[in-house]
Parts: sequence; C-alpha cells; structure tokens
Amino acid sequence: MEIKKTVIAGTLESSDIQITLSPATGDNLEIELESDVLNQFGNQIKKVITETLQKFQITKVHVKAIDQGALDCVIRARTITAVQRALGQTEPAWEEL
Amino acid sequence: MTKIRQIFLQIPSLKRKWEQFLHQQGLTSFSEAEVTNLDFTLGLYEGQKLLGTGSISDNVLKFIAVIPGELSATYFNQIVSALQSYLVQNGQTHMMVFTKPQYEASFNYVGFKTLTKTIQGCLLESGNPGIQQYFKNLPNVSNQNQHQVAAVVVNANPFTMGHRYLIEKAAQENEIVDVFVLSANHSLFTSDERFHLVKLGVADFKNVRVFPGGSYLVSYATFPAYFIVSKDNVIRYQTTLDAQLFRDQIAPVLNIKRRYLGDEPFSHTTNIYNQTLKAVLPPKIQVVIIPRLQQGNQIVTATAVRQAIAHQEITMVKDFLPEITYQFIQDHQSELLERIGKGVNISGN
Amino acid sequence: MNAGERLRRTMMFVPGNSPAMLKDAGIYGADSIMFDLEDAVSLSEKDAARTLVYESLQTIDYGEAEKVVRINSIDTPYYLDDVRVMVKAGIEVIRLAKTDTAEMIQQLAKDTAAAEKEFNQPVGSTKLMAAIESARAVVNANKIAAASPRMMGIALSAEDYTTDLKTHRYPDGQELSYGRNVILHAARAAGICAFDTVFTNLDDEAGLIRETKLIHQLGFDGKSVINPRQIPIINQIYEPTQFEIEQAQEVITAINVAHEKSSGVIALKGQMVDRPVVMRAQRVMKLAIASNLVDEEGNYLEK
Repeated sequence: MEIKKTVIAGTLESSDIQITLSPATGDNLEIELESDVLNQFGNQIKKVITETLQKFQITKVHVKAIDQGALDCVIRARTITAVQRALGQTEPAWEEL
Repeated sequence: MTKIRQIFLQIPSLKRKWEQFLHQQGLTSFSEAEVTNLDFTLGLYEGQKLLGTGSISDNVLKFIAVIPGELSATYFNQIVSALQSYLVQNGQTHMMVFTKPQYEASFNYVGFKTLTKTIQGCLLESGNPGIQQYFKNLPNVSNQNQHQVAAVVVNANPFTMGHRYLIEKAAQENEIVDVFVLSANHSLFTSDERFHLVKLGVADFKNVRVFPGGSYLVSYATFPAYFIVSKDNVIRYQTTLDAQLFRDQIAPVLNIKRRYLGDEPFSHTTNIYNQTLKAVLPPKIQVVIIPRLQQGNQIVTATAVRQAIAHQEITMVKDFLPEITYQFIQDHQSELLERIGKGVNISGN
Repeated sequence: MNAGERLRRTMMFVPGNSPAMLKDAGIYGADSIMFDLEDAVSLSEKDAARTLVYESLQTIDYGEAEKVVRINSIDTPYYLDDVRVMVKAGIEVIRLAKTDTAEMIQQLAKDTAAAEKEFNQPVGSTKLMAAIESARAVVNANKIAAASPRMMGIALSAEDYTTDLKTHRYPDGQELSYGRNVILHAARAAGICAFDTVFTNLDDEAGLIRETKLIHQLGFDGKSVINPRQIPIINQIYEPTQFEIEQAQEVITAINVAHEKSSGVIALKGQMVDRPVVMRAQRVMKLAIASNLVDEEGNYLEK
C-alpha cells in the first residue's frame, strides 16, 4: 500500500517523536530521521517505524521523523496514529494494537 | 500542567495582553496590518499564566515567543508542533518561518531547513512540497546549462504592454527566458488569472517559458519583518532575503545568468529593491535594467490600469494592454469592480 | 487484611497525549494513576492519545499504582472506542466523565463486559468509577454509586460542577459543601470509595493543605492531583497519628487472639469489636505502612 497524503502525528515535546508521512518520491519506504541520539539509537528508531508500517502493509511512503527521545512504545503509537490518519481510518487499529 | 489554548485576538483585552507579552519578549515593531492578517493564534498556559505564543498567517509561522528560562526550549517546541498540527489539519503541509538569526538553530532542531539568511533575519521551511519538489516540477531542459538563460519576475496585476516589452527585450537578448509570476493571492487579479494572461500574452515568443512563483518567488513585501526593530532596515532586510533566495536557490537550478528589471521612476521601495538586486546578484547573475515602455508620453503601468478599472474608464488605457488582457477586463468588468468594492488594494505594486 | 480496601489517597491526572508524563507517571508514588483521554486532550488528538496510552500501558511499568483511565463521556463519538481499547489494554478502572445518571453507568458496564469478552479479559475484572460533574449528577449520586457491582468509587469534578451551579470555585470551598457531603454519603452507603476534586492553584500550598484537611475530615478516601508536587502534601495529611496506630494495633491483636482461640467474637477491653472498627483498623495500618510510620513488625517508629 502507498501513502498518498501528508499527515502529521506526535509533537516536538520532550520524550515524543513527530512523524510526518507524505507521498514517497521513490518506490519504497524512505525514512528521514533527526535525533540527538541518532548514532546510538537511530537504527532502533527506524526499525520500530519500519515494523509498524509493515504491519499496515505500507510499502511506499516518505517518513520524516523528528525524535525528542521517545520510547519505542511512543514511536509505535505515533506511527500508528500517522498511518491511520493518512488512510482515513477512524476505527482503532485492532490488529496493530 | 501546561495547556495550549487558542487566543482570540478579536477580544480587545486579550489582544492587549498578547501584545504586552510580545513586547516583554522583545517583539515591538509589528504593524496592525500584519496582526489583522493572522489566521490563528495560540497560547501556551500554565493555569492563567501565558508562557508562550505563536501564530499562523497562510502557511507562515509568525510571532513565536516564549518566556525565557530553562524550559523555554520545551515551550518553543510545544508551540511549534501545535502550529504545525493546525496547519496540516487544515490541509497546509508546507510551512515557512522568517525569524531572527538567533532562532535559526531552534527551528533547525525541530526539522526546519534554512533557505537563506542575512545578518538580520533568516527564512526557513518545513514540510512538503519543499523547494526540491518545486524544482522537480519545473520543466527540465537537459542542456539548459549550455544556454544563455535570463529571468523576469512579475506580479502582472494585470499583464500590460510594459511587461511584454520587458520580456520581449529579454527574449531578443537571450536563448531562454524564464518568467516567474508571483503566486500570492492578494492582488486584484487572482494568481490564476495573472498566470493565464501572462502565458497567453507571451505565447508568440518561442524561447519564453512561464512558471508560477510558488512559495519561493514571492513579493518581498510579504516577508514578515516584525522582529526587526528599525523601520529603515525592514526593506533592506526583505529585499536582501529575496535577492539571496533567488541567487542561491532558484537561479543555479535553471542556470539563470541574467535578471531583467524595469527601471523604477515612481516607487521608492521598488527602487530600493532594484538597488538591492544590483548589489546582491552580481557577479553570479547580471542585472539588466530596461527603461519603462511609454505610450505617447505616458509610462505604462499596471497601477494605472487598475485605477482605470476602478473609475470604469478602461478605454483610456487600451493602449497599455495586450488585446487578450483588454478583452479579459472587458469580460470581467463587473466582477473586478466587485472585488475593488470589497476592499482589494489597487494601489501599490 | 482486607484486600479490597486499597489505599487511594492520591489519584494523579496524566494527560493522555503527553509521552513525557506517561513515561514518568509511575515514579511519584501516587496510589492511582489516571490516564486522561478527556479534558486534557484536544479534539484533534483523541485518536493519538488513545493509541499512545494503549502502547504505554503495554510497556511502561507503573509499579503498585492502580491504573485508571478517564474516558470521554457517553454522548461523544470517542466513548465506545475508548472503552474497547482500554479494556484490551487491561486497564484496572474506567472513570466515566460527566456521569449524570445510573443508566450511563449501566450502559458502561454493559459495554465493558462486551469488550472484556471481545478481548479475552476476565469478565468483571474492569472496575468502574463515576465522575460527578453536574447538579443533576449530585442529585442522582446514590443511584449512580449503586448502579453496578463494578463500581469502585465516585469522584467530584468541581470545575464543571461549579459552572453548572452558576458559580465558580472559591478558596474556602463553601460552594462545594453540599456536593461533597452528598457524594461521600452515596459512596459510603454503596460501600465504594469517594474522591475529592483537584486543587488547581499549584502556587497555593497552604490552600491545598486547607482543602485536603477538610476532605480528610469529611471522610474522603483521597483527592485527585494534577501535579506530582501535591502528592507528599496530601499523603502527610492522611498519615495516622501515633494514637490511631496504637488503637489499630490493639484491634488487630484482638483479631489475632480471637483467631487463635477459634472464637467468632472479637472482644477488646470488654467490648465487642464490629466490622467497621476492624476495617478502620486495617486501613490505619495500611496508611501507617505506606507513610513509613511503622516497621515491618508493625512497631511505631519515632520520628
């Protein structure tokens, strides 16, 4: 599945992560991550985002993530919310929760 | 527990408190017109205490200020993300900010990219379509870098024989001419109408291409400048930012080596703009100033055309206008008068 | 000791859309943590907060604290999904905002039961709480408190309540005196807990102390708090005195003696000890332990 609109979830507050999804320019998942802990945790953050997107079968999207020191559960929650907003889903994502 | 709330500036007492707060944070020289144009203002509160504020005008973040202290970065981030959410929810996914140089890093930290900066202020953007997407949408001539390319930037409100004369000169002296029509919708003629009339009006010049200015070729006068204390510096800051943006971002992509301007016998500020372009653009870009076209002993201006529309004396300026523009005005006379009646500013540029 | 009667001196509000506060909520020693999906969350963030609280409950350790969620009221489009997602998350208590009638609690009990079945939670495991936020709710308090065997407590929510009364909050709290007494009686008559409203002025510590002493005197189990700083202040007021602890120790000893003798009658100083006295003694000892006033063997520690 591909994301066709731009949405935002999460905030720039401490311990949060702001996830912006927008249409991909290429043909797959593109993750642009900004974080103070990029060297230590960059791969882990990308992994959580990627896994969450995969659960929704999203294969084509541009992700911009601005991390403020978010725990994995926060990264997951914000990604789920962003995907649901992009897909216009209002029912909770039972399969992914 | 801090809470974000909308501030209704329509309520005079709340507006006064908001202004006082901005004054305390060192924002002192904003104009009433700039405040009136705000679409949305929010405050960050702890109980009744205002800790910070931020506003939106179109897609521009403005009047962001927080109280100083160790939590100021936290408050700043709360406000910026609330403003971003507001914009995205309202379908505006691209946003810009003009701010003091000392805040550049704060905005970079939350994902904004600097487009250009001067000593007095900087311009940043976030979201999409960003400037890279804007470039992607411009027609790509593979060997553009082997051609002599010139640019003309017009508002064309509406397109006159004067604009056509300037573009014609450029077309005669260069291999390719890229014309940018400003996209902001604050003029008597809408951006679609202006773009359309320019496109038709230069269709006979085979080496001229017409582009919408998008977010990057805008009227410098719309650059927010409330954070600059001295009025004298405002125009210089605005025009310098505009000129640098053109020189460093736009021109290299299209291999633009010359920019054509009409000389400016009337407007003091436009004259300063021309001076700034002459100071900033060379040596990378040569500035070519063309004397204004005259019909009889009158200089052709769009301002005169708009005045004639307002006074329903359109035939008086028939000579100023290409046939297509003249026809368009005749066909839409009542609608244009209605817009003027509603208060669209017809003087100025 | 009676396991059903846990301490609920402080119920700390945690905005449901704030990762920083969700992360740290467990470290302040609140007896209950109340994740807020209602007033603290703007309309555009309801979806985000629900998902965030769900994910936090899956991974963050909140220790001994009782986990409560305040869901959106029954007339909002968020209500049913709030119930379902929170039951799936295994929340201990659902607090219903703006409970005006017993029927609302019965509806919530029904929806909660359905969600428990849907998500394989033990049926009946989720407790309920009502937030009393209007004059109508105060008038219906007795029925609300007794509306369902799931009911764990009722709480006064003074901001909306005073607005409904056409007044606002005053420092002396006179405007709340009727409502507080009604809620307390409804709770006690139904055998459930009574919670007082939040004290919102964080800079007025003397005011918080004054108000907490008052509701402690009235008999409330505890108070809602909006800032961790308020927790030790409230806990201190709920500390039992040395005299109360010694009295409680006497009652507990008498129970143990009666058990050893296999006697059905608990006697102390020639008087029969009845159930409310036993329960009070157990509660005092819990408070004493929580306040570090006794050692592991129950001996009073001189401060």
